[in-house]
Amino acid sequence: MKTILPVLTGIGSVTPYGPLAGLIDAPPPQPSAITAWATPELRRAFQVEPFRPADIVPGVKTRRLDRLSVWALVAASLALRDAGIDLEKVDRSRVAVVFASGFGCLDLTAAFFQSAVANGWAATDPITFPETLGNAPAGHVALFHQLRGPNITLASKTFAAESALLQAASFLRHGQAEIAVVLAGDTLTQAVYEWYEEAHLLSPACFRNESVSRNCGYVPSEGVTAVVLEAEVRDEVRPYAALHSGRWAAQGDVQSAIDQLMGGVQARFIFCANDGAPCSNSPANSPARGMTGEGSAILPAEPVAAGMAETGGLLHLLLALSKRPGPGQALQLGVSAHGGYAALRLEIF
Amino acid sequence: MIDTLKAIAVTGVGVVSPYGTGLYRLQEGMLAGRCCLAPAAELFPGFRGTVAQVGELPPLTDGLRYSRTDRLGMIAARDAVAAFTGSANMLRESGIVMASTVAGLSEIDPEISKGPAEWYRHGGLSRAASYPVSRVATSVAEHLGIEGPACAVSVACASGAIAIALAANMLLDGAAPMVLAGGSDALCPFTLSGFNSLQALDGDPCRPFDRNRKGLNIGEGAAVLALETLDQAKRRGAPILAVLRGWAMSNDASHPTAPHKEGAGLAACIQLAIQMAECGVDEVGYVNAHGTGTPLNDIAETHAYESAFKCRRDPIPVSSTKSYFGHCLGAAGALEAAITILAMRNSALFPTLRLTDPIESDRVDWLRGELRRKPLPVAMSVSAGFGGSNAALVFGSRCA
Repeated sequence: MKTILPVLTGIGSVTPYGPLAGLIDAPPPQPSAITAWATPELRRAFQVEPFRPADIVPGVKTRRLDRLSVWALVAASLALRDAGIDLEKVDRSRVAVVFASGFGCLDLTAAFFQSAVANGWAATDPITFPETLGNAPAGHVALFHQLRGPNITLASKTFAAESALLQAASFLRHGQAEIAVVLAGDTLTQAVYEWYEEAHLLSPACFRNESVSRNCGYVPSEGVTAVVLEAEVRDEVRPYAALHSGRWAAQGDVQSAIDQLMGGVQARFIFCANDGAPCSNSPANSPARGMTGEGSAILPAEPVAAGMAETGGLLHLLLALSKRPGPGQALQLGVSAHGGYAALRLEIF
Repeated sequence: MIDTLKAIAVTGVGVVSPYGTGLYRLQEGMLAGRCCLAPAAELFPGFRGTVAQVGELPPLTDGLRYSRTDRLGMIAARDAVAAFTGSANMLRESGIVMASTVAGLSEIDPEISKGPAEWYRHGGLSRAASYPVSRVATSVAEHLGIEGPACAVSVACASGAIAIALAANMLLDGAAPMVLAGGSDALCPFTLSGFNSLQALDGDPCRPFDRNRKGLNIGEGAAVLALETLDQAKRRGAPILAVLRGWAMSNDASHPTAPHKEGAGLAACIQLAIQMAECGVDEVGYVNAHGTGTPLNDIAETHAYESAFKCRRDPIPVSSTKSYFGHCLGAAGALEAAITILAMRNSALFPTLRLTDPIESDRVDWLRGELRRKPLPVAMSVSAGFGGSNAALVFGSRCA
């Protein structure tokens, strides 16, 4: 059987950096004051600034969609564009969509609840209901680009993005698709932000106008990052990276998992993918620090990626690649406070 | 000849259905042709409809902080491994893929939309913690002490079948020695109201594939399959209830909610699953259909069977067991996988209840009336959902 090594050929993102194709060269954004809902005093978060989707993806119609669906559509389109894929020349029944989201379509879920409060459960809004479903964003990506391969939406505590990458790689390896668009993201709504606040999880930087550092604590973020994985390297394309393999677990011995994953290969780069926690000095990252030898480097995530509780893994990867670390083996490692971990072995080109 | 390295063994099945807890209860109810659909008590003011409810759940010592969907899934998962014969390490290192569409939505009060902080301060904080769909998988992991990869799948009504397909992929990848895969969904005003707003509900017990069908009924429940590679299951002498021989997923890319009119995506999915199972279309003895009872789904699905099985010698036997206990949404695909396994193990082709005037088709053998007895070496379960997703699972009763 032919061994397939999935390669990452395209990147698109709708994040607080803005809607972008490819790597991110902009300086790290700062949290901005929340204005989407009334707050008692200053409240800040990393937010996606409003934009016109049709300016970026001609022909896209987004009027009745949740923001998460809109961002997924735009990020997926930018990633396909960045990969240089001409969908007219592709068998679209062989293109999968794998979407990771922690919370799903929250804007319209809130709107549906509002219609229940206003009109009663017996008279809710039929237009809104289908757009509240968790898989609506992935469905819209498939519909807009006519992608007829496997289409899944998944969630995994802390490591939904890494899980999505591994499921997509599995589709490619088992011949269930030749191309996979992998997306991960969430929107930040009043209900989510106030849950964090009531649970006392927010960084002091959420309440004050100050610059954030990598050790600032948890500042909520939002956005969708998309990557294109392909089963084979096309002649005309230079991939960003190859995804060798990965492991993730709800609990377990991280060091042992890393040892198995790397098979004795020294990682030149370790991409930290923790949520909220500082990366370079977190006790949770001791396995990564233990691996860091001569010439190896930990690339800490920006707080903007660490602020996405379930789905920051892809943005972590994008920000690490955007540092242009040069060729070599890399380990993307996320360790949760609950003892879970996700580790991806990558080859950077 | 089945390739034991590519096929997946089902070594346990756990079920919570309106018939009660356990596969035996489901089997007993289905073989008796007992319908669990009943007029709903006032699930919300103004709602008059027909649903199928699971009764009081067995006690869970750690069950209080979980949503009803979580608890349904936890009980089904515990049932799936009740007769587990492997090592404690094998169970601990297992993976989990749980499907759900409702998850903890049933715990959220609409009042949250007036002011979330206020609602959290009055007891909503811990209830909201059960909202994320990932919580369904985490709950099962916590309940059974499982530490392997755990994820939840939310692909509308195809979720349960897709969870099983993803679990099968994970096993072939060596991600875990065993994966518990299935789905769980509780009745919830949000979803009842949503389908009601779409005018997709039949106020009376549904009539899938009938020309006079009017819509679906919502049910609740959970099913979890314990899966491992056939090779490993044989080596350790595990009881093998069925073999998952083929699985496939596709998308219609046709409409946000309606299926492709000709069922093209579903037909392609069925063909891919049969191809993977390396069996001919004539070997498939029964299809447990998605069969919701909605006008659009059932006609599109009929076209899909006509297309996918057009090379068969005889019409393909098809039934919808949603006529017994409704559409359990994210759990439906997993429950129907369990029913397909029951059909094979009992040589029983379950009829669609209340199917008196079926959609005309000379390529589909609509199962109706009396239960039909026939050996079933190969059977299939088919699912579809909003967003255009489709899934097909091919099970075999023999492991050689």
